Amino acid sequence: MSLQILLNGLATGSIYALIATGFALIFNVLKFSNFSHGATMTAAAFAAYFLVSANGAGLAATLAVAGIAGAAIALFGEFVGFRRITLNHSSSTYFFVSSITLGTLYEGLVTVKVGSNFYNFPRFFTNPTINLGDFVISTSDIMMFTISMVALIILAYVIQKTRLGRALRAVSFDRDTAQLMGIDSTRIIQLTFVISGVLAGIAGVFLGIKYTLYPTLGSLVVKGFIASVIGGLGSLTGAVIGAVLLGVVETILLSVLGSGYSTIATFAIMLVFLLLRPQGIAGSNVQEKA
Amino acid sequence: MKKILAITLALVMAFSLVACGGSTSSSTPASTAEPASTPASASEAGSETSEGGEILIGCLQDITGATSALGMSVQAGAQAAVDEINANGGINGKTLVMNTYDTRGDVTEAVNAYITAVTVDEVSLIIGPPVANIANAIKETSEEYDVPVLGFALDPTCQLKDDGTPYKNMFCFQPSATDQGKIMAAFAVQNGLETFGILYNQENSYSLSLLDPFTDELAAEGITVDESLIVPYGSSDTDYRTLLQPIVSAGVDAIYCPNYTQELVAIVTAATELGYEGKIVCGLDAAPSFNTTYGGDCSNVYYINNINTDDPTTAEMAASVEDSVSAVNKYFLGYDVVMIAKQCIEEAGLDDPAALLSAIENVADYEGLTGKITIDPATHMPKDMAMFMYTYDNQTPVMLGEFAG
Repeated sequence: MSLQILLNGLATGSIYALIATGFALIFNVLKFSNFSHGATMTAAAFAAYFLVSANGAGLAATLAVAGIAGAAIALFGEFVGFRRITLNHSSSTYFFVSSITLGTLYEGLVTVKVGSNFYNFPRFFTNPTINLGDFVISTSDIMMFTISMVALIILAYVIQKTRLGRALRAVSFDRDTAQLMGIDSTRIIQLTFVISGVLAGIAGVFLGIKYTLYPTLGSLVVKGFIASVIGGLGSLTGAVIGAVLLGVVETILLSVLGSGYSTIATFAIMLVFLLLRPQGIAGSNVQEKA
Repeated sequence: MKKILAITLALVMAFSLVACGGSTSSSTPASTAEPASTPASASEAGSETSEGGEILIGCLQDITGATSALGMSVQAGAQAAVDEINANGGINGKTLVMNTYDTRGDVTEAVNAYITAVTVDEVSLIIGPPVANIANAIKETSEEYDVPVLGFALDPTCQLKDDGTPYKNMFCFQPSATDQGKIMAAFAVQNGLETFGILYNQENSYSLSLLDPFTDELAAEGITVDESLIVPYGSSDTDYRTLLQPIVSAGVDAIYCPNYTQELVAIVTAATELGYEGKIVCGLDAAPSFNTTYGGDCSNVYYINNINTDDPTTAEMAASVEDSVSAVNKYFLGYDVVMIAKQCIEEAGLDDPAALLSAIENVADYEGLTGKITIDPATHMPKDMAMFMYTYDNQTPVMLGEFAG
């Protein structure tokens, strides 16, 4: 197997990791799969494109604005789509329907705004590639991998080492008990959506750099969902491992089997894996709401 | 009480949406007028709509969805022609009205929109899509009606049945994939390119239809493309670097990519990231706005185009719309086909659908902005229509020559 293929797989896996982590965060706290996450990525990436990068701003400003936009969109979604459902302890079906509806709404709004044109982020790097001996690594992939890892390390630190993180973990464990212990659960849920939105914004920009910007860009959230299932739903570490594994396996199979069969083989391997280890890599078996 | 309030609110919202035009057809500003009367059948639509002083035509395009930029460009060109026709007195004194129907890039939506256009709105003819998948989806259904579809799907299977006879209503008004593939291959060979890799979308009729004509023409010139370097991909594939890896490693002179703009941008980006320095030969969708979307130096990209931007009239018209239209060549196709429709309606009228079909089948030597168009009645596609090969000087299009079909 070529090392080049492995590098390509790691690059793909690092994007999946960003998507999967945002996905896993919400699942961790509210125990439902937020299918509006993909459309949040797209909307945040387009917001960053129109607000800053189309006006000549660099990657840092683009990522910052995408993060803020993603946080704002996720916060809006939490308030409009999930707040009352959460407070009423409503049936899990409502979370599912609400997240699908929000996602469709965001995607529709983006389509109306951008459907008539093609968009791509400007070239952020003078040299698109770096040569390491016989291997070529894309500058954007290195940047993507580095920033993804930094973002995930910061997230891990916040969750494991800060008061805020402890509160988040407490709410994810038992929301009502956490509330009785003096933790403002609603505030913590809002914070979770903000973090998830920031990750969505960053992932959206990287997806846009890699695949160009288009209204259905967020459909790649399915890969993040699969990665978080492989990793063990709700586990952040598992989501990252699952994402990198998925990226690498996909790339190797694509290289060996070509298109078509590689997709079949990827999903077949995943099904076999889940058959043998239904709780995922991380081992936490959570009953999903929806 | 709360329940009643909620139901009332939902009903009010539903009615508001319907009032705002929540049907499958999205009308252009000029198309809000209803047909004057309701004919008994679609085939009678033309004569009946004429009574109200209007001629209603449909424009079936991807207004939303993955290829919306193409559909909206055709729609804009068609609307410009409609406006021009009406400013000059309409067709036989009647105002031309165009309803636009959004296929949303989805074959099911496309069939539903087509049926709405011919059975509910009873349009006289339809300006068809430039997307082969959509044209392929409606071709069988179109056989049940007498409403011509004047489209641009260059895959011959959109126009021709398995037995080689044409679908009676399906027409293509740009050179077929067979012609375009041959032109691109001939151009490549003429420019000294000898070894090729191919990356094509096996789920896309457009991409697939351009594969064989290209390799066949190369074979006729004594060039065989190594099977391992003909790489298919699907709509779910996004890792173009891995797909391109064997082609780039083989050090080919050129990569042939008959793909849509969005995919081309990602493919050219991936090839550059892999350090590829050869040529990339593309289809129509590498025409502007590919260059601005890609954003980098695309001097190694070669593409085929319908229009000659060295022609002053074409250049002036292209310059006037390039800020508002993504795919300028599609704008010209839309414009030309509405003008051809006008000519056919003037010639055959709308009372006899067979006469209108015959007029369209026998369009000859029509001097359009996309060239001289003569429809072959046997194939419902243009014959001997020339096209133009281009490259870029960094990001500026450079016309390299005209090639006969």
